[in-house]
Amino acid sequence: MADDMQDFAAEARAFLDAHAPKAPDRTAPSWGEGDDSMAYFSSLPPEAEREHVQRARDWQRVRHEHGFGWITGPVEYGGRGLTPVHDLLYDAVESEYDVAHTGVLSVIGLGMIGPTILAHAQPHIKERWLPAMYRGDAIACQLFSEPGAGSDLASVATRAVREGDHWVLNGQKVWTSVAQHSQIGLALTRTNPDAPKHRGITAFLVPMDAPGVEVRPLRQMTGGADFNEVFLTDVRIPDDHRLGEVDGGWTVALTTLMNERATVGSEGVGPVAAALSPDHLSALMRATWTWDDRALRARLAELLVDALATRHLNTRALRMLRAGGTPGPEMSVSKLMYGQNLTRAAHFVSDVLGPRIIADTGQWGTYAWSELLLATPALRILGGTEEIMKNILAERVLGLPKEVRS
Amino acid sequence: MTADETGLRELRASVREFLEAKSPEEAVRKLMESEPRYDPAVWAQAADQLRLPGLVIPEEYGGDGFGLVELGVVLEEMGRALLCAPFFATVVLAAQALLASGDREACARHLPGIAAGRTTAALAVAEDSGSWDPALISARAVPDGEGAWRLTGRKSFVIDGTTADLLLVVARTVAGPSLFAVDRDASGLSAGPMETLDATRAMARLTFDAVPATLVGADGAAGRTMAKVLDVASVGLAAEQSGGARRCLEASAEHARTRHQFGRPIGSFQAVKHKCADMLVQVELAEAASREAARLADEGSAEFPVAAAVAHACCSRAYMFAAMENIQVHGGIGFTWEHPAHLYFRRAKSSQLLFGGPAVYLERLLDRLGI
Repeated sequence: MADDMQDFAAEARAFLDAHAPKAPDRTAPSWGEGDDSMAYFSSLPPEAEREHVQRARDWQRVRHEHGFGWITGPVEYGGRGLTPVHDLLYDAVESEYDVAHTGVLSVIGLGMIGPTILAHAQPHIKERWLPAMYRGDAIACQLFSEPGAGSDLASVATRAVREGDHWVLNGQKVWTSVAQHSQIGLALTRTNPDAPKHRGITAFLVPMDAPGVEVRPLRQMTGGADFNEVFLTDVRIPDDHRLGEVDGGWTVALTTLMNERATVGSEGVGPVAAALSPDHLSALMRATWTWDDRALRARLAELLVDALATRHLNTRALRMLRAGGTPGPEMSVSKLMYGQNLTRAAHFVSDVLGPRIIADTGQWGTYAWSELLLATPALRILGGTEEIMKNILAERVLGLPKEVRS
Repeated sequence: MTADETGLRELRASVREFLEAKSPEEAVRKLMESEPRYDPAVWAQAADQLRLPGLVIPEEYGGDGFGLVELGVVLEEMGRALLCAPFFATVVLAAQALLASGDREACARHLPGIAAGRTTAALAVAEDSGSWDPALISARAVPDGEGAWRLTGRKSFVIDGTTADLLLVVARTVAGPSLFAVDRDASGLSAGPMETLDATRAMARLTFDAVPATLVGADGAAGRTMAKVLDVASVGLAAEQSGGARRCLEASAEHARTRHQFGRPIGSFQAVKHKCADMLVQVELAEAASREAARLADEGSAEFPVAAAVAHACCSRAYMFAAMENIQVHGGIGFTWEHPAHLYFRRAKSSQLLFGGPAVYLERLLDRLGI
């Protein structure tokens, strides 16, 4: 590791030592102890959810005061101006500490919308929103998907019509994570219904407290409501909140989507680490007396082959990034494998547990896995379905002909 | 000694250029039906021009002292080209067995000839069950006075066993499984070719009738030696497999881009496109697994044995998958003798099962993880 990296890690460690307790190691076999939640999505009641968001904001503010709030962000907007490798290094150090989970702010806001605002907004809009996002004051959401435009995102139907120096938006968005906590949303709208569908789209920043914006929680199969429907009824947006050219919103969307794919697919912590941890899974097999089952052992090994090979893939991508290169197809492959590895792990655990996952006996570490099991179908859809990711790999990496599109 | 990225690229380019000239498909097809199943002139050129046999042999024994990362590059290229040559048996199995034995005298006697390309060698472990588990070995060796031994029994699946100048043989003594060196011309030794699923990899059955042999390493130490050899050899095999898998993927993508059916290139159909994407996913994982394992070996990392087991399992599966799907993407033509797809299919299946197959290597992974 280069000297500046070591200095950076030491600085991060000193900051965290002063502000946070050390975290318990969730991958270690501590069978039967502590919290056994395997929730991938939150399933908190609204009051607890609000407290969770408040804790995230408080921790983000502390990080900001010490220079770790937006490590890759440009200095003029309150970021640190460092590389993605610094960012990953900080995450690795922070994962050893027990701090509030700040995904609600960072995954979509700083990870995806921030870079899009940076690339496409006017300077005074950047100054208005970026420092606020970085301090934890403004949470951002992505108003892209619609009931009729999921994987085929260019089919958005939400209309934006110009009225003087304002635009009037009407339509419905769906699958919007964190909309209920957001102050700002990035919306794709149809501004030219006569143009080919990719060329008639315009992007806007929508203040979520603007009149006519209504957020309704959408309960998902895990029981919680991470996603929302967002209804836009005669919402007036000033023209300076437009990102990019009129009818040029597809370029803006691509900036966000590229950053999305770089975000999804990392290994993560919590239930993900446990579900793919050899120690955790072998402890489960001991606890359920399935230790000697040859068929289950072979499946466990197959599962670990994929989990460990995916980790090697991520290590290589990181090393390439560190050497100044750009990662190749690793991120798309990693995203695909991430969904499949967790899905396979959840079904393996279900088969180990047997009936213990269909109803709660109160026994530690058994029914809790149902939370992960019910989340896995989403992992093969969110951030681009498996099918879309495969099209991207086949067309952009292997050079196969494009799908025939209307 | 470790080459940097530029060095690795240059190594790959020169090996690929050499193999394109010396091991095109016609040459492979000719050699796989001849005896010996390699071209001694090409082998001599690989040694003299590219110094390949000595690549990973330490400098003190006449080699260039590179590591598994460099070996991996060479084996990926050989796997792509289905090269018929005694490289895997000599360099990846036999030379590694000599090094792993820790027997400096045996190394000094045999490795310089191997490094120079003058000696070819084979490692005989499995018997008729095909297992590499030293506990299942029945060939035996008894002392014959003055530190000499005599070896009796039968070995099967010995890669390049009819042509190798030097045979390294695992046999049982009172102390346990032990490693022995046997001369090609030793009395009481007979070798016959086996009919093989993968005709590009020659295998032999050897019978030993009180054959004079020299102990290599400590008496009874072959169990530990073979565990080390298997880690290195399975990473070497993994590199060969990922090279073969990459070649199958390239052939499929090329075919899907150019072959038209129903008025469209078949690669524009999502069913074909996704098949190719699935192959790409497997190939990317395989390359990551085999290259990271090689890197961990060269760094002397404690994570190497786990990574070696992962590479072996991951690359075995990836190659088999790519070889099967390659035939499917090509349709009927992929099933003909004239098309090279079956050569890769045969190599993929044979390699997958070479060291025991999935049931064995998945348990080995769990063992290395302490599960």
